[in-house]
Amino acid sequence: MREKLIFEEVSKIYGEGDTEVKALDRVSFHINEGEFVAIVGPSGSGKSTLLSIAGVLLSPSKGRLLLDNKDITTLSSKEMTNLRLEKIGFVFQSSNLVPFLTVRDQLLLVAELAQKRSKVADYKADTLLERLGLSHRRNHYPENLSGGERQRVAIARAWMNDPEIILADEPTASLDSKRGRDVVEMLAEGVKSRGKAAIMVTHDERVLDLCDRVLTIKDGRLLEMNSTQKTNLKASYSNNFIS
Amino acid sequence: MFLALRELKFSKLRYFLIGFIMILIAWLVFIISGLANGLSSDNASALQNMKADHFVIQPDAENKLNRSQITDEQWKEIQKQTSIHASAPLGLKILSVTKMGTKDKMDITIFATDASGILAPIVVEGNQFNNTTKQEIVVDQSLKQEGIQLGDWIQDPETEQKWKVVGFTEGQTFSHSPVIFMNLKDWESLIHTNPQQKKIYYSAIALQIENNQVANLKNEVKDMDVITKDEALQNIPGYKEEQGSLNMMIAFLFVIASFVQAVFFYVITLQKTNQFGVLKAIGAKTSYLARSLIGQVILLTIVAILLSIGFTYGTQQILPASVPFKIETETFILFSGLLLVVSVLGSLLSLYRIAKVDAVEAIGRAE
Ligand SMILES: Nc1ncnc2c1ncn2[C@@H]1O[C@H](COP(=O)(O)OP(=O)(O)O)[C@@H](O)[C@H]1O
Ligand SMILES: [Mg+2]
Repeated sequence: MREKLIFEEVSKIYGEGDTEVKALDRVSFHINEGEFVAIVGPSGSGKSTLLSIAGVLLSPSKGRLLLDNKDITTLSSKEMTNLRLEKIGFVFQSSNLVPFLTVRDQLLLVAELAQKRSKVADYKADTLLERLGLSHRRNHYPENLSGGERQRVAIARAWMNDPEIILADEPTASLDSKRGRDVVEMLAEGVKSRGKAAIMVTHDERVLDLCDRVLTIKDGRLLEMNSTQKTNLKASYSNNFIS
Repeated sequence: MFLALRELKFSKLRYFLIGFIMILIAWLVFIISGLANGLSSDNASALQNMKADHFVIQPDAENKLNRSQITDEQWKEIQKQTSIHASAPLGLKILSVTKMGTKDKMDITIFATDASGILAPIVVEGNQFNNTTKQEIVVDQSLKQEGIQLGDWIQDPETEQKWKVVGFTEGQTFSHSPVIFMNLKDWESLIHTNPQQKKIYYSAIALQIENNQVANLKNEVKDMDVITKDEALQNIPGYKEEQGSLNMMIAFLFVIASFVQAVFFYVITLQKTNQFGVLKAIGAKTSYLARSLIGQVILLTIVAILLSIGFTYGTQQILPASVPFKIETETFILFSGLLLVVSVLGSLLSLYRIAKVDAVEAIGRAE
């Protein structure tokens, strides 16, 4: 199986001297093609830091990072921006849409930033909106959408640049459980059908059963659940959800 | 401009308000500059329209034509200078005169000169005076408003000199008063009315000379000073003060325009900090966001300038003819350019803010 993202002994230290904080401590894991991985952990455990490093928003202090078989450990900020533009899709917590762009323009913006505005981009945007059931909303502004619709637009936008990996930061935080589940299902479906990968930070245990793997992080250390634990977990969450 | 235009469209009211303020400011700038131009030519069109570029004057005259005296010997010496293309003596005196048969005084400026020299006025009505005529003058046509007609006599009650109006010229004012042109003979009679004044003198010698010859000439002529037309203009009584106060208003308006825009865009930028974080995270470069902002500023300013230029022409139509108001294309271009520059300068503060936004702030932020 092809590996999309590899963390090798990655550490991240904020500050220096007395104020030093070790947010990530020798974290290693692989994410394969078609895999949808959840990251859970208590507040302050390093989830955001991990996601920021995976999203090439932050450079690691130590360790090695590979995205789509390319070493991306040390890049200039310009290279980081370009890499995000080409290889990474983001779905943020909330209100991450540009308020003055219509749904369709949110998607076209990605092509615009990559200087790839064209008929092809228009077609791609329309297809994505169609797939996520947003065609009838294409000319609406975010303020006129429901929370679930906004997150679906965010997902469509994340796919717009054909990224290798999608990074989702608590995408269900502002949604009720039914809508939250719909949104995560859409993420999972996209990952599978395109053969890409996704990491999702979440507090929402009810959607963990939709993920292939759950990584637990605590005090900057990664604890991966083995498959039995995961099956149990899945079962209990599904039961919760149904009941 | 993808973001810039869509944001303008979406937040119409907001940008309309700032645009409206910019229109008012630009409009005021253009009106004041029209008044400054108008007053300037109302004040000194005789100098502005003069076919001379430099003047020879007395060194102690503080660059004021009306205070200077050049003797006939000095004038002869100047005529010998080969670097001068053309020259003409100018006798200048500010007087209060009356139309003969009435008592109402009016301020005029006498320009006495060689009727066949470079300072001779262009007659638009009536006849030209010449160097042999006696007591004949050509006057600025603004005197018509004082009831002066061809054939009328004008009298100086002090010296009891009188002259007959034979022709009208236009665009000839000095220190806000109409100019009266006479020949040097009449000038001589006028100065001899002062018994102490035995010898003839002129106020200045008007020159046409290359700029690079001026330094040479200054060395050649003793006890004389050579000044530019602009220096002479600035030293017309009241000219500097009048233009200075108007120009100060314009300068203030530029500062205000800059600050108003700076504050407006800075506040909007602060509001959008999160949005910029998200945009940077999904791959927008600072330069792209900066271009977008500058694009908005430039677009807004250009539209405001164009509209206010239109309004200024409208204003000109409404203003009564007695208000000195003169639109000059060059001033419009200059001030439009300046407004654009100060607006862009004002947005630098916001650009700094945008540059400081870190894409990583987009992650882990709940709101
Ligand atoms: N920019 C920063 N500077 C210093 N410390 C930070 C910074 N960002 C996060 N931290 C610290 O790193 C640790 C992990 O933070 P974070 O990755 O945000 O955790 P989580 O997302 O799981 O809540 C916390 O102790 C936090 O205080
Ligand atoms: Mg966090």
